[in-house]
Amino acid sequence: MNDALQPSKDRVFIEVRDLTKKFGEQHVLRGVNLTVYRGETLVLIGPSGEGKTVLMKHFIGLLKPDAGSVVVDGVSVHRLRERQLSATRKKFGFLFQNAALFDAMTVAENVAFPLVESGVRDRAEIIKRVHDALEVVDLEEHKEKLPVNLSGGMRKRAGIARSVVANPQCVLYDEPTASLDPVVADVIDQLIMRLQHRFRVTSIVVTHDMKSVFKIANRVAMLKNGVIHFCGTPEELRNSPDADIQDFIEGRSHLQG
Amino acid sequence: MEKILRLPGRAFLNFLTYMGQLAALLANLGTAVRTGVWRLKLVAQQLVAIGYGSQVVVIVTGAFTGAVFTAQTYFKFKDFGVEAGVGAIVSVALCRELGPVLAGLMVAGRVGASMAADIGTMKVTEQIDALRVMAVHPVDYLVLPRFIAMLISMPFLVAESITFGLLASHCAAVYGFGIPQRWFWNHVFEHTNETDLFCGMFKGFVFGILITIISCHQGLAAENGAVGVGIGTTRAVVFSSLALLVVNFFLSILLNYIFPMGVAT
Ligand SMILES: Nc1ncnc2c1ncn2[C@@H]1O[C@H](COP(=O)(O)OP(=O)(O)O)[C@@H](O)[C@H]1O
Ligand SMILES: [Mg+2]
Repeated sequence: MNDALQPSKDRVFIEVRDLTKKFGEQHVLRGVNLTVYRGETLVLIGPSGEGKTVLMKHFIGLLKPDAGSVVVDGVSVHRLRERQLSATRKKFGFLFQNAALFDAMTVAENVAFPLVESGVRDRAEIIKRVHDALEVVDLEEHKEKLPVNLSGGMRKRAGIARSVVANPQCVLYDEPTASLDPVVADVIDQLIMRLQHRFRVTSIVVTHDMKSVFKIANRVAMLKNGVIHFCGTPEELRNSPDADIQDFIEGRSHLQG
Repeated sequence: MEKILRLPGRAFLNFLTYMGQLAALLANLGTAVRTGVWRLKLVAQQLVAIGYGSQVVVIVTGAFTGAVFTAQTYFKFKDFGVEAGVGAIVSVALCRELGPVLAGLMVAGRVGASMAADIGTMKVTEQIDALRVMAVHPVDYLVLPRFIAMLISMPFLVAESITFGLLASHCAAVYGFGIPQRWFWNHVFEHTNETDLFCGMFKGFVFGILITIISCHQGLAAENGAVGVGIGTTRAVVFSSLALLVVNFFLSILLNYIFPMGVAT
């Protein structure tokens, strides 16, 4: 593993301590502890409905914890009010599970949005950067379309372009390759790796695609029953004696057929 | 029994909570006005959608109200032989009450509903969260442009409604009932002046604030998918219409106190 990825204290980017979150009676997160290091690609796996999305939303203050702390780049985001969160949020790109494109804007306008809002005024630069971002996800020819006229996979790709276009320090991907065909999924994996190697971008990726886990992950964390059930390298994951983990990797269920 | 007794308490508490939420939104809007970016392009879009787009509705409402009110007043006034004074009654009523209230109700239906539906849809499809993630405050981006556009549009829409109400009243009185044109307008200008028109436009301004705050709040609070957006839209129209009527009552008293009616010039 390259030196930049060696964990050390000053390399901590996100530090989550004893994070607890309830929705009504439903106890989703029950004391999550997780550290994300600068420049690494951390993959978050776990059964559906376990709170992976909920956990990611805490990193950028979209949700407030009931208890526990979330520190990003030295800032306690769980203490900040909405308007104080801007500075931290500008360090992030966020791909929503459903892409969350703006209905009223074309694909190109959606991708340009973070640039315009972060103060880029040069039209030529905006056009060029939008073009480049769309080229990577192979959507250049659909840039004038409205999101309603895109397939699920295309919307996802447009969402990816929008979350990386402003060169954030850290990108949070919520199931980036779900609903993509295997070839495009590989393109996205390549993109995540390239951003890491070229720009030292920190990535946190929620995925169910085990092939992609072993391709892109520096570390893997598994969320189960509201806590981090496992956290380690992909090799450690593969060699784990834990039956739950092996079932998850292999995609085995215990329902009798 | 205890439950029944608790019910009014619960309702009152809900009402207070709701008022608190509206106040919070208003405060947030204040912050947006002071510190946020004014997105003039969005304001222009909203001006077209709200101001320009509501004209037909408001004009038709004003015109037919003016005409029908003229007819009813004429029939009664004729019994007393003072039918020539129709213009006075109609123009005072249009300026101070009918113009602003009916224009306000029509705008509450048309614009309030679309504010709640647009913002509500964005809420339930996570587009609001997408704004937040990109460090754009939803109140700055969605509510502020609508608010500014509404403040500019409403007084003019009310003035338009009053103008077309008077023109329609003129047609009904002069061509329908044969009242001499001079008499009609003499009465109008003897009994109403720019103060009455100002009162109407000022009411429109206040109604604009009410409609925007109530409707945008319903949009931002929408939950549970399309069903929630539907409920929010209905509430936006009902709540802003009711609020408008109640506030209008107190506003009328206040304005009559400050600018007494019937001071002929
Ligand atoms: N805003 C919310 N209100 C109520 N329940 C929620 C909310 N967001 C998520 N949940 C619940 O939290 C649980 C975890 O959801 P999520 O994080 O989306 O799971 P996943 O691990 O599949 O991403 C689910 O049971 C979901 O119903
Ligand atoms: Mg999820």
